[in-house]
Amino acid sequence: MIFGIPVREFIAFVLMGLGLIFLVGSAIGMLRLPDFYSRVHASGNSETLGTALVFLGLAVYNGFTDASFKIIVIFLFVFLGNPIGSHILSKAAYKTGHPVWTRKHADEVEEFEKQAGEEEN
Amino acid sequence: MTNSSVLRDKSIVGAPIVHMVCMAVLLFAFWMLLSGNTEVKFITYGVLTSIIASWVCYPLLLVSNLAGTKKYFIFGINPFKLICYFFWLMGQLILANIDVIKATVRPELQINPCVVRFRYKADNPMAEVILANSITLTPGTVTMNVTPEGVFEVHALTDGAAAGLEDPSGMPGKVAWLLGQDFTFEKMGRDY
Repeated sequence: MIFGIPVREFIAFVLMGLGLIFLVGSAIGMLRLPDFYSRVHASGNSETLGTALVFLGLAVYNGFTDASFKIIVIFLFVFLGNPIGSHILSKAAYKTGHPVWTRKHADEVEEFEKQAGEEEN
Repeated sequence: MTNSSVLRDKSIVGAPIVHMVCMAVLLFAFWMLLSGNTEVKFITYGVLTSIIASWVCYPLLLVSNLAGTKKYFIFGINPFKLICYFFWLMGQLILANIDVIKATVRPELQINPCVVRFRYKADNPMAEVILANSITLTPGTVTMNVTPEGVFEVHALTDGAAAGLEDPSGMPGKVAWLLGQDFTFEKMGRDY
């Protein structure tokens, strides 16, 4: 018993809390980063570890049952599938000539995105 | 019979029958996990389905190298090496994730995005797939394109991530070790 909670549940809470920190970090990155490619990092990649920790917490919470194994299998599929989504998004942007934001070419990218927005409206 | 011709195919690396049995066992374990039912009837169904599925799918899961001289089974990876690689990758994932979160949460963004180019070539085509997937999985780096010549175009968010990519003993070396392959690695510079 730690703080009046069984040890297994305490470990599960710690893991899920850590996962939550990473998920919040990825959400902050999504809002703050400057261009499409950088946001793919925030949305696609940082989430992998966040979801992994949340799933691991759920598996620990469930204990040694077949539901835990199913949760781990789901996590493995996320682990394999998430990078494919990020890669396809960035590849589509790269092939259509979306400029990459860098310290030197920041203005060009802002202009490009402004123009693209105007064309849509 | 396609089965017998696959069994006698000398260009396949490893023994086809061992690959098929391993795949059937894996599929049966997955069946048991999802059904959770230990009645004889369901176990019989499971055994039959996994054997038939592995027999039908095995020829589809072979990839040949660029020269066309050898065929590799795409799941033909040593499981112990795979587990070692998985835990190493998880460690890298945590370290890189902490770096990215630090860079994005600071009041002043600590990022310096660039496109890193390098050439990576190994005989087994799965090496490129696993490397590209692992690079994208690690936060701070996303594979944007891989050309047929093996040129990787990777978007790196921070300087640390870009430097980590250009180290041939890091991820490229580990992937080659995982598949038991020799590899060539060549830096092609960064675009800022």
